[in-house]
This record gives sequence, structure tokens and C-alpha cells, in this order.
Amino acid sequence: MEAETIRALLEQAFPNAAELDVEDRTGTGDHFQVTLATAEFDGLSLLDQHRRVNATLAAPLRDGSIHELRISTKGTA
Amino acid sequence: MSTLSEQIAEVIEKEPVALFMKGTPQMVMCGNSQRALSALHAVGAPITTVDILPDPRIRQELAEISGWPTIPQVFVKGELIGGADITEELLASGDLQRKVDEALGSDRAPDIKVVALELAPA
Repeated sequence: MEAETIRALLEQAFPNAAELDVEDRTGTGDHFQVTLATAEFDGLSLLDQHRRVNATLAAPLRDGSIHELRISTKGTA
Repeated sequence: MSTLSEQIAEVIEKEPVALFMKGTPQMVMCGNSQRALSALHAVGAPITTVDILPDPRIRQELAEISGWPTIPQVFVKGELIGGADITEELLASGDLQRKVDEALGSDRAPDIKVVALELAPA
């Protein structure tokens, strides 16, 4: 899976993201680092922020296209 | 024998700090499981681990219960804390120490316990 594909899914779900970066950590198309900052996350716990990202990527997580997902999120406040 | 789902729920409910991981503390099979384990060690938590690798059903049932799709998963007093990233972030901010101190008291003893789930034949 391409980092760009994941990026597109996240852009769709978080169109107003202040910061969005997807890195293929190993160059093998299955270990990714997602960095996302959006005002939508203001006031949300880290747990809930990660839940939103996981929900956006539920399909590739379920079918194994994403083997490992590292997530770093924050609000913008 | 209770169902797999019941056994998982019981671990989450009854163990002060539960870590669902790939492998065991003696033989960790995944870098992220190691990250979560190390973070819990760092705050002196008693840790009860469950290896999810022996059967894919463990991971499926766990995800059903927690609503969290990836491994590892850390629970303190029945509450999902998160995976490796959140656990490390909370360690760095001091919130993990506070959370564990609040939940378990500060005079606790660090400990490692490994729970093996009983699996019905597939």
C-alpha cells in the first residue's frame, strides 16, 4: 500500500488538517507513521484522537495492508 | 471453560494493569509491544501480559471488546489507555505515572504476570 493512498484517506476524513504527514517507515508499504494535527482534535483525549485515525484506516488495518501503524496526533489549540 | 471473550474481559476487569502483546515479556515478538512494556516498566507498574499470537481469535475478540484494532493494548483498572504510541506519550508527559499511581497507589510492587488463555479447539 502506498503512503499516498493512506494520505488520501486521511485528507478525505480530515479536510481541514493543519498538519498531515504519512511516512512509509520501512519502505515496504506496510509500516506507516501518521502525523496529524487538526482543530477537530482540540479537547479530545489522545485515545479518542487515535480512535478517529484508526476508524479512518479501518479497512486497510483489517485486511492487513497496514501491518504497523504509528500515530502522532494533536489539536491546534 | 469460559469463552475466549469472557476470559479476555476478565483479564481486563481484574488485572490492575493488563498488556495484550505479541509474545511474552521474556520473548517479545514485536517492537511496539516492547515499547509499551518498557513504558509500563518505567513507572513501576505491576504488569499482567497476555500473548495474542497463539491464536488469531484472541486478537479478534479483543478488538471486539476494546474497539481498538491494533496490538499492543494497555489497560489500567479496566480502562483502555491506548497502544504503544499513547503509552509512550503518556510516559513522557508524566501522565502514565499519575494514572498508575492514582489507580494503584504509590506503594505498589512492580511485578510481571503472564496469563495464558484457554483456547477451545478451532
